[in-house]
Amino acid sequence: MYALVDAVSFYASAEKVFDPSIRNKPVVVLTNNDGCICAVCPIARRLGIPKFTPYFKVKQLLAKHQVVVRSSNYELYADLSERMMNVISRFCDNQYVYSIDESFLHFDHYSHCITNWHEYGHKIRQAVWKETKLPVGVGFGVTPTLSKAANHAAKKLSGFDGVAVINSHISGNKILTRMNVDEVWGVGSKIAKRLKEKGVNNAAQLAQQIPKQIRKQFSVVTERTVKELNGVTCLSWDDIKSPKQAIFSTRSFGQRITSKNTLRAALVTHAATVARKVRQQSSRINKLMIFAANSPHDANYYKQALIYSFIIPTDNTCELANAVNKVIDSIFCEGVGFYRCGVGAIELSDTSFIQGDLFMSEHTNAELMQCLDSINHRYGNSTLKVAAQEHHQLWQMRRNFLSPQYTSHWRDIPKIKC
Amino acid sequence: MNVIPIYAEAGITGFESPAAEYKKLGLSLDQLIIKHPNATFIGQASGQSMKGVGIFDGDILIVDRSLTAKQGDVIVANYNGCFVCKLIDKNRARLLSASADFAPVTITPEDEFSIEGIVTRSIRLHHQSPELAACML
Repeated sequence: MYALVDAVSFYASAEKVFDPSIRNKPVVVLTNNDGCICAVCPIARRLGIPKFTPYFKVKQLLAKHQVVVRSSNYELYADLSERMMNVISRFCDNQYVYSIDESFLHFDHYSHCITNWHEYGHKIRQAVWKETKLPVGVGFGVTPTLSKAANHAAKKLSGFDGVAVINSHISGNKILTRMNVDEVWGVGSKIAKRLKEKGVNNAAQLAQQIPKQIRKQFSVVTERTVKELNGVTCLSWDDIKSPKQAIFSTRSFGQRITSKNTLRAALVTHAATVARKVRQQSSRINKLMIFAANSPHDANYYKQALIYSFIIPTDNTCELANAVNKVIDSIFCEGVGFYRCGVGAIELSDTSFIQGDLFMSEHTNAELMQCLDSINHRYGNSTLKVAAQEHHQLWQMRRNFLSPQYTSHWRDIPKIKC
Repeated sequence: MNVIPIYAEAGITGFESPAAEYKKLGLSLDQLIIKHPNATFIGQASGQSMKGVGIFDGDILIVDRSLTAKQGDVIVANYNGCFVCKLIDKNRARLLSASADFAPVTITPEDEFSIEGIVTRSIRLHHQSPELAACML
């Protein structure tokens, strides 16, 4: 038996933990730079506040309902996430933390000791609520994909109270018939569209497909999903864990940027972030995407994105900086007030499978990068940097509605009235 | 006679510090003060109503959420959207102060009320701490 435990609109719930004055109020959390709404608490959801909408578009709606608006407080979320995961880990000997607010549990050897999964799920919920004041949903399933489906039901479908169990065909069907095919874990929007054209609209219909045909028409990944929906476990932690296929660093600017040098410095800074993350997971970059744009809400929308291919895959910050330098003239446009830019490693390969080139020598300089990383690890992330990176952050993140760092700064610890 | 010279080897490459094994035994205040780290948060007392149990204005409170409150425990509660530290009178649904200057408060069904945790420790800072200085202002 597998379980997926995750928090109910984690960022918004985390904001309520140390601020009792907003526990019963609608709360939304904004993304980096206060651009978009990225979390909506259940109370705000019931008021019809949409997720993933630009903040400025719903400003009035939020004001009308007196919705509490917060900037993303990553320090707080990271701390609460760790606490939550630790509490959950008490309930199973095999836990896999899948994201900041999701964790899989695999009940293998001891599963016969648990006779009532529903009750066990409520025990997990109660413990996490009592000890961290975070609400979680718990879904049990025979496979990871089914546990994810059960989790969806536990939180979103009527008739469930935060816990759902799929341990038979009947209990599975009850949930899968009520699930849109694009809500199935592992089914992307493109595949969902094609499935719907074939008349496969809900998860139960997807489960009825013949796996081999699905493999031919779609891919081995979708075939696995079909099998998993039928109770055949195909995914292991390693599949779930597979390294990221793309790494992006992007952000919008606090103030518009109109100078080429400033834009270059911002792009090189993003490139350095990407290179660091790529090195962390022992990958190399084959293709790098570099882009900049003004706002889609501007009168003349301008966006330029270029892909730079490296002949020999690299993880060297300097090589990435050179790539930015080579394309900056094609990206920059005089008179455009740039609002957003970023760099993304869109094709990666594993360091252990690098094919050398007969005519080109490598420039990755692993020792130098290792030195850079260890200095920055020890003294803070921008202690040592490429000269082309910016020196003072003109485009500091905008976090106008930031809550205090209740758990990581002494000056911010909650005040308790005596 | 052939003499094959063999150097005596004692395998000594310098003595390991005899204290090495004991290094880890430094005292940790966390260990003494925090029993359930995942369920514990740190707050700061503000006000005079709990002097009778030795909690003064500015003291640091260690609040454990994993424990269940018993009659007369020093608790932190969410009382109408505000964190308060009081003695809990479960029998009569009241919040008691540890000072004659403050009257008991009866919790009514209209109040927003939940127990947030038990105050297991409180810390008195006899010298001002620079980390906390900003919040004493």
